[in-house]
Order: sequence, then structure tokens, then C-alpha cells
Amino acid sequence: MIIDPLRAAGAIAASGLDAQSVRLKVVAENMANAQSTGATPGADPYQRKTVIFASEFDRLLGAPTVSVKDVAGDESAFPLDYDPGNPAADKNGYVKMPNVNPLIEMADMREASRSYEADLQMVKQARTMTSQMLDLLRNT
Amino acid sequence: MISAISGIGSVTSTTGVAAKAAAAPTGAMSFGQVLADVATGAVNTMKAGEATAISGITGNTSVQKVVESVMQAEQALQTAIAVRDKMVSAYQEISRMAI
Amino acid sequence: MEPVYLFDLASRHANWASVRQSVLTSNVANANTANYQRMDIEPFSEVLDETSLTLASTAPGHLNINGTEVGAVDDGTVDTWEAKETGGPVKLESELIEADQVNRGFSLDTAVTRAFHRMLLASVRSGA
Repeated sequence: MIIDPLRAAGAIAASGLDAQSVRLKVVAENMANAQSTGATPGADPYQRKTVIFASEFDRLLGAPTVSVKDVAGDESAFPLDYDPGNPAADKNGYVKMPNVNPLIEMADMREASRSYEADLQMVKQARTMTSQMLDLLRNT
Repeated sequence: MISAISGIGSVTSTTGVAAKAAAAPTGAMSFGQVLADVATGAVNTMKAGEATAISGITGNTSVQKVVESVMQAEQALQTAIAVRDKMVSAYQEISRMAI
Repeated sequence: MEPVYLFDLASRHANWASVRQSVLTSNVANANTANYQRMDIEPFSEVLDETSLTLASTAPGHLNINGTEVGAVDDGTVDTWEAKETGGPVKLESELIEADQVNRGFSLDTAVTRAFHRMLLASVRSGA
């Protein structure tokens, strides 16, 4: 049972903000490590990370909030680059590069920003509604 | 604050109006009964407003319910005060009448 | 003359609006959650149809619109999360547009309530 729907709205939006900011951080990490190869021959490079969201029903609020369930590794294959001088080159001269595609990460960054902005909107709206309700008690 | 409003209700009993009201047939609202009801209603509304506000502060009631409850208490209080003021001025007018 | 009907209607709409706001917020927050279906609550007209708005009985002798005495009033507050999954993924723009409408309705409720509350207090004070 929802005790206070306005408070629930604020809390849910805040949980969304939290989750999206984790996502933004992960995307930034991917971008920063787009060229991070391993150190020893044949070693694995930086593995792209993805964020998994889950919605859980919060008893106190009476509403489903969202949270980051897991930051998982992207299991797709590492592309190979021919670079014999690299310390990570295997015996054929190929270096395993991170499975990070900058274009995809940029699109993801834009999406995450949009979601973040939308959640921020909802936080503001919940706050405005509560403050309008409390204004009823304010004296003329 | 609440005791001042209850005073309105007790006025009717001291002047005997309430006694007459009790003797009146049921279904007809006498003036004394109306006064007593206004006072009692105002007191109850204010108590309810206070209880809801306490519940709201401890997080057991929504903001909307608290606001509505307090507004109703405000309305009831204003009404009771207006009734009391009218009664007082009426009494003073009567006491000024030359015998 | 107390605008009881108006206060009651504004109160119910404000309550419905705040529940809908939290449902829409949940949709926006879960826009990237896997397998999440968009949710919504029933429209306000249906809430009105299911509960009748009668004059609250504050004193004996109060009549309802038909001229007969009133019984207990159905509260009509939305207090459970009766949101149904309407199917389909979440589209941020739609949620934000809906939230905008909800906000406008809510602002109207509080504005009307405040205005009539002040008017009532003023009329009582002046002895009308």
C-alpha cells in the first residue's frame, strides 16, 4: 500500500538517477580504455563492461524502484590487430584489442544522458508537486 | 485553544438553552443544539488535524492527507471563532438594553 | 455554503495524480531495465464512476443532492499500486508528456483548493 505517492515518486526518480549515473560511469570507463591492451604476449586486453538494471519492489514505498543489478563483462570476441612491436603481440604478431567500439559507446553515452535528464525531470516534478501541496498551508 | 472553543458549548448549558433543546422534539434543530454541535465538531476536527499532523511527521501519512486535515481544522476553528464573536457581541447588545 | 463537493473532487484528483506520477516515474526509471513493460493506472473518470461523490455528513440534517439523508462516504482514495502492465517498452517522450499533463492537473487542484479555502475563511471572518 502506498502511504505517500509523492514521496514514492521522488524516491523512484532518485533511484533512476543513481542507476543512470553508474551507467554513465561505465560508458566513460569503456571509452577511456578503448585502446588498453594487455601487458604480456597473448594477454587479454580490457574487456568492455555493460550494466544490467533490475527493478525491485520497495515495501516501504509501495513502488518498484530500479537499481544496478550487475556490471557484467561483454563476452564478445576481442578483435585482432597486426602489431608485432607491441609487448602484447602473440607469436604471429597479432594483438588482442579491447572489444570497445567508440561509436557504440558514444551512442550509449547519449542514451544514458537522455535517461539521466528524464530522471532528473521527474525528481524536479515530484519536488514541485510536494511543494505546491505544502503551499496550501502557507498563510496569505 | 480547544478549551476556548469548548467554552462555546458550555455557554449553552449554563444559560439553559440546551435544556430547552433537549425538550424540543427530535428532528428539529434548536439553536442551542446547533451551537453545541459547532463547538464539538470544531474540537474534534482540530484533534483529528493534530493527530494527522503527528502521523505525517513520523512518516505514516501522506503529505496530502496532512494538508487536508490541517485545512479542515483551520476552517472549523475560524467558524467557531466567528460564532463565539457573534454570541459575545449579541450578549453585549442585550446587556446594553435599557430595562 | 461550503464547497464540500469541490474540495472532495480536487482532493481525489490530486491523490490520483500523485499515484499516476509515481507510476510514470517508475516507467522512466526502468526505461533500460530488461523485460520491463510500461505500466499505467486507470483514468480518473473511471475512479469517479466507481465511487460516488456525496456530501460528507458533518451534522444531522445535512442532505445529499436528492434530498435524502446521506450514509457513509466511500473514500475513493487510490492507495494501492493497481497499475496494470499496458505492454510495450517504455518510450521516454511519451512518459514525459503524460507526466506534464499530470502536473498541470495537480497544479490546478492545489490552486483551486487554496482559492476556495481562503474564500471560505474570509467569508467566515467577515460574518457572512
